[in-house]
Amino acid sequence: MTQIELTPASGPAFPSSPREHLTSPVTRSALRIQNRMLAAAREYLTGQGFFELLPPIIGPVTDPGARGAKQVDVDYYGHRYKLMTSAILYKQASLAAFDKIFCIAPNVRLEPLETARTDRHLAEFHQIDVEVAGASREDIMALAEGLFSYVTRQVTDRLPDEFDRLGRDTSAFAGLLATPFERRSHVGAVADLHDLGHDQSPDAEINWAGEAMLSRKASKPFFITDYPKGSRGFYDKESPDRPGYLRNFDLIAPEGYGEMCSGSEREHDYATIISRIRETGENPAKYGWYLQMLREGIPGSAGFGIGLERFTRYIAGLDSVWQASAYPKIPGVASP
Amino acid sequence: MSALQAMAFPEAAVRARARLGAACALPDPKEYGRALFGFDPDAAPGDLIDQLRLVPPVFVPGRLEKLLELTREPVYRDVRLEATVGGLRSTLPLYLSAFGSTEAASVDLGLAASRQAGRLGIPMVVGENVTPVNGYGRIEEDAERSLLGRISAYAAHALDGFGGVVVQQSTEDADAEVWNLVYSDPNTQGLLESGRLAFELKVGQGAKPGLGGMTLLSASAAARLADVFTIDPLFGGSSDVVLRCSSPGTFTEEILRQQIRLMRNNYPRAGIWVKLPPARDIREAALVAWEAGAGAVTVDGAEGGTGWAPVAFLQHVGLPLAECLRRLRDHPGCLLVSGRMWEGARVTKCLALGANGVGLGRAALVAVDTDAENGLVNLVECLSLEVQMLTSALGKYHVGALDGEDVWSPDAAGR
Repeated sequence: MTQIELTPASGPAFPSSPREHLTSPVTRSALRIQNRMLAAAREYLTGQGFFELLPPIIGPVTDPGARGAKQVDVDYYGHRYKLMTSAILYKQASLAAFDKIFCIAPNVRLEPLETARTDRHLAEFHQIDVEVAGASREDIMALAEGLFSYVTRQVTDRLPDEFDRLGRDTSAFAGLLATPFERRSHVGAVADLHDLGHDQSPDAEINWAGEAMLSRKASKPFFITDYPKGSRGFYDKESPDRPGYLRNFDLIAPEGYGEMCSGSEREHDYATIISRIRETGENPAKYGWYLQMLREGIPGSAGFGIGLERFTRYIAGLDSVWQASAYPKIPGVASP
Repeated sequence: MSALQAMAFPEAAVRARARLGAACALPDPKEYGRALFGFDPDAAPGDLIDQLRLVPPVFVPGRLEKLLELTREPVYRDVRLEATVGGLRSTLPLYLSAFGSTEAASVDLGLAASRQAGRLGIPMVVGENVTPVNGYGRIEEDAERSLLGRISAYAAHALDGFGGVVVQQSTEDADAEVWNLVYSDPNTQGLLESGRLAFELKVGQGAKPGLGGMTLLSASAAARLADVFTIDPLFGGSSDVVLRCSSPGTFTEEILRQQIRLMRNNYPRAGIWVKLPPARDIREAALVAWEAGAGAVTVDGAEGGTGWAPVAFLQHVGLPLAECLRRLRDHPGCLLVSGRMWEGARVTKCLALGANGVGLGRAALVAVDTDAENGLVNLVECLSLEVQMLTSALGKYHVGALDGEDVWSPDAAGR
């Protein structure tokens, strides 16, 4: 088998051993910040009445995703099971038990090899996953904004020494968290990219280079909303007012750090989901348990997932996302 | 050579070409000066395409243009055959059609065909269900059987800058995530980075439009696949083989459009092909595919197919290729067709009727079965010579210049 040569785009050299990485002052500061971020996220969400659920790690089916990442198969007593690529299906199902839930969910995605050079992809990562029954996209975007702001304030207030060590100036955060984040549509983002001379399909996800360009031009986080159908999973609800567009959003960090959160209002109608599963080329048969739950009825909802390592990278000002993981897995690189 | 038989197919002629190459474009030289040749009115009428004739003109402005370029009278060897086949640069307006995982197309033939297609510089399609049935080959011990075995054989012999590998996926394959696997595999990065990887969405096929893929499997292999495919033990309990069926998959205009968009979204560096069956709404479906951004639509005429198909379907179901081409006249994208292709006249007629490239299926299998080293290369050498002779006779010097004026239909005589 061929082993890929890793040539980082701009970031620091990948450590030669786990010891070198774990004993690095940068790693220690990044992980202390991340630890505090997690505690703050739990405080905020629990304070708002959320229930923390421990998500499954394997299941017969997981989020099919939408960017060419391969799932990891697990031989579960002769059945083909998957490691979770995201908790989305289980988050929706769990609303049968509780109306407001969150998980700190581990995810594994065998991403295309080109992502090894983006400085923002890990094959193994964690999400702060949130789902709220009966919520609209606007409700959930406001919650994401509140959570993001609270965590940022908490961590910058409490760990000034760690930020000093990393050379991250936190004074800018105070101003940018004082006002709501800008919202722009996918159509608007595509137009912005065309104005910048960047080739971007209006029918597709914002490509890596385009996203980095928009992020670099921004000075504070902003939302991109209304992605076109055909760029996202079947569970993002299609707008009843604008067919072909989804009631979803991404939260993009400024300074070139890029996307760190995706969310949407969810589709939960059985027949609509079946059609949407076919539109994403999937075989409905393997979603048996999920479809059965939909058939019996689950509440409408909205939710999001924040990429914990990406969020940490932005807050801590790290060159590369792998610096925010104790045991980083860069796509295609065999590492502990 | 194995016991492979291609019933209802000019097997002997294909095997002769696979052995002897271009010489088969002409009658046996031993008979030169001894026998008289001419039209054989007793030859089987064949299908609608066989009944068409290519008709050269007296006045040939295209030849004058070529004469000016060459400063000599052009001859048939001056006909340029290079073409873009579904976004892939190809030495010829040809590609190798998918064989799937039917037993006839099993490992050795698949590998031989892959090597020779690579040498020829023509694209190769690898069939759906090779991965779910034979595996992918990255960790499995019998890697040669697998999809990766086919891709590696092609890449190792590929002509620099030409050809490419097109990997099919059908509804059941989605469970095995064939495209995700190939797209993120270190072994395929060379093809991806040179723009020679494409994915084909299999909507249907020629031999059994309206049904999914079918193969016969041993009962033990079937047990392993029972949670992926429909397994039908219709040969009775005493038989050790069972029928394995894929579903045809459910499509509406919106489902097809969005599947193609999602492919473009997920695999921005790979080409996107869509394979349609010879269905009555072929034009509507092809237009949806091109509009959604497919780089090629491939149409398998009802005369096509290497695979196992119900008897009723082989004789009675699906549009003939000629009718597919008629319905797709004046199309806005790349159109690739297959079905009983093995010699130059049928290929030239299809190109004249609007196809941008033509797929070799059964002929390629029989050819590599005849000679695993050079059978396909020999067959294609003969076919290429015929295409050059026919195209030059029509006063044209590039296969892309062929069009409807070059073809006469018996229907026209009655008008």
